[in-house]
Amino acid sequence: MEILSLLGHGFAVAMTPLNIALLLLGCFIGTLLGALPGLGPVNGVAVLIPLTFAFGFDPTSSMILLCAVYFGCMYGGRISSILLNIPGDEPAIMTTLDGYPMAVQGQAANALAISGVASFVGATIAVVGLSLFAPVLARAAIHFGPADYFALYILAFATIGGIAGVDPRKTLLSALIGLLLATVGIDPISGVPRYTGDNYHLYDGIEPIVALVGLFAISEILMLLEKHVRDRPKAIPVGSWLPQWGAIWRTRAAMLRGSGVGFVAGVLPGAGASLGSFMAYVTEKQWSNKKGTFGKGDPRGVAAPEAGNNAASGGALIPMLSLGVPGSGTTAVLLAMLVSLNVQPGPLLFERQPDLVWGLVASLYMANVALLILNLPMIGIFTRLMMTPTWALMPVVAAVTFVGVYGISNSVFDLEMMVFFGVVGYILRKLDVSLVPLVLGLLLGGDMERNLRRAMSISDGDWSILIASPISIVLYILTAGFLALSVWLALRDHRQSQAERLTEG
Amino acid sequence: MSVRILGVAIFVIAALYTWQAGNYVVNFGDVLGPSVFPVIVGVPMMILSASLVVFPTGQVEWPAPQRMWRQAAALAVLVGYTMTLEPFGFPLATFALIALIGIILGGAAWRAALLGAVMAPALWALFDKVLGLPLDFLGTLFGRG
Repeated sequence: MEILSLLGHGFAVAMTPLNIALLLLGCFIGTLLGALPGLGPVNGVAVLIPLTFAFGFDPTSSMILLCAVYFGCMYGGRISSILLNIPGDEPAIMTTLDGYPMAVQGQAANALAISGVASFVGATIAVVGLSLFAPVLARAAIHFGPADYFALYILAFATIGGIAGVDPRKTLLSALIGLLLATVGIDPISGVPRYTGDNYHLYDGIEPIVALVGLFAISEILMLLEKHVRDRPKAIPVGSWLPQWGAIWRTRAAMLRGSGVGFVAGVLPGAGASLGSFMAYVTEKQWSNKKGTFGKGDPRGVAAPEAGNNAASGGALIPMLSLGVPGSGTTAVLLAMLVSLNVQPGPLLFERQPDLVWGLVASLYMANVALLILNLPMIGIFTRLMMTPTWALMPVVAAVTFVGVYGISNSVFDLEMMVFFGVVGYILRKLDVSLVPLVLGLLLGGDMERNLRRAMSISDGDWSILIASPISIVLYILTAGFLALSVWLALRDHRQSQAERLTEG
Repeated sequence: MSVRILGVAIFVIAALYTWQAGNYVVNFGDVLGPSVFPVIVGVPMMILSASLVVFPTGQVEWPAPQRMWRQAAALAVLVGYTMTLEPFGFPLATFALIALIGIILGGAAWRAALLGAVMAPALWALFDKVLGLPLDFLGTLFGRG
């Protein structure tokens, strides 16, 4: 019952006119960003963060706006998957498999409605899970000492993106690059400037927001220029927007299964929403593909991954809020914003700033209702805006990105830094190096070092304090397990691809 | 090959980084000092990047030269924007940014220019006037408006 009263308090926080306006704006922008191919949740949220700074919203309002955008992107991504056969963002890839065939068969309205309702079911289940489990996890994490936090950060770096199947060495290197960047600036404990090259712009360290806007948004422009941008296929015309309600009702079991699978995938550190939708689709296919209809326009193949990606994106908020360790790329970006606003997520957040936590949770319930309305009756708006050509869209996005970053500090140096990180991000992405661990390293590096040094001060220089508590030992064992698993998976993939090459040759 | 080059680049950076860490002196009352954490980061970086040089994974397909030129042009426009924003003021610099990136992305020249001519002042009005984020209308070159 305690949770209900906290939640009631949260609704009181969320119901101010400003917060409701930001919520609706965020839902609209989010759905649009999700629907537009080439702009996903990470880019969208990254571009908007500097703007929320510039307007000086308080942390609660900023979080409400950006989480609404985050949730909105997850809803919107399916629109272009179904109508264009191009995923609007990465988690929506699985929705193209059955969504586009449905649209081709004249069932576009049904596919859009099923996926909209599935998004709502998945996201709502995730928010309920968030309200139930996040406080419990936070209460457990209160017993963590500095050495345990150090172990937790190591676990986070070892696991994030680790199950994605790419070379785990690249993922670790990416995290280490982030940690390296985090040490730039004046060391807060001893006051020694490190790696600044006597450039006073760097004394405060590298602003994570500037770095990640460059890494994600600017590198995306460079990525886009690689592809053919002029020839986008025509959208499938939708005769009537009215769906058949029976068709939606028949997919209810698939929605619930997808939500469950997605939620678990989201809570675990890893690839977040993309993994959630992938797992949900694969599970659903194994469960109900009795007649081989999957991939040919089976409604359940639309419902499950959409429920899965929305449940995962909500689930990914749990470790971010209660431990301060994000489970996905977009939550890492959200963490960057909180840290820049001097809010340190983690167990103490629930005690010290219940307004923020519960206001956010309450607003997520409201956002789901708003998004359902935007994505069912008002979907026509987005299908029209979605056809904005890339040559018109991306330059304006670039301009807004520059304005936002310039607005943080009015410094041209930050703009140059952003472009520099854009090039770095592009090169790393081309070489299959995930950027999320880098951002995580840059964000958590300072804290990780502080916790290590605090632990060493407590023990007066005795390294054994790092493995002195049972919590840290468990965390190190988990880390070793995850690393072993990802190395094994990578070796297996490597061998498989080699075997394929041999049989082809 | 690209992965090997990346490995070498990271190795060199990590080595310089670790070597430089030794120059940060240890203070009293701070057991670990400012130099140990960089070493903890730098050494595994050197090991991992060296292993990437020896055993590289993944194949990289770099874009065709023609597309690389487009990317270089876009990059030049972005860098140019950081240099022209303050001297020329927001609307003028942004007009050039939107128009040029639009053309590089394959839009017709007159349409991209039109888009820039409409969006640049509109964005300035939105941010400076409506949302209260100060942006120079005229740059330092024209005596700052």
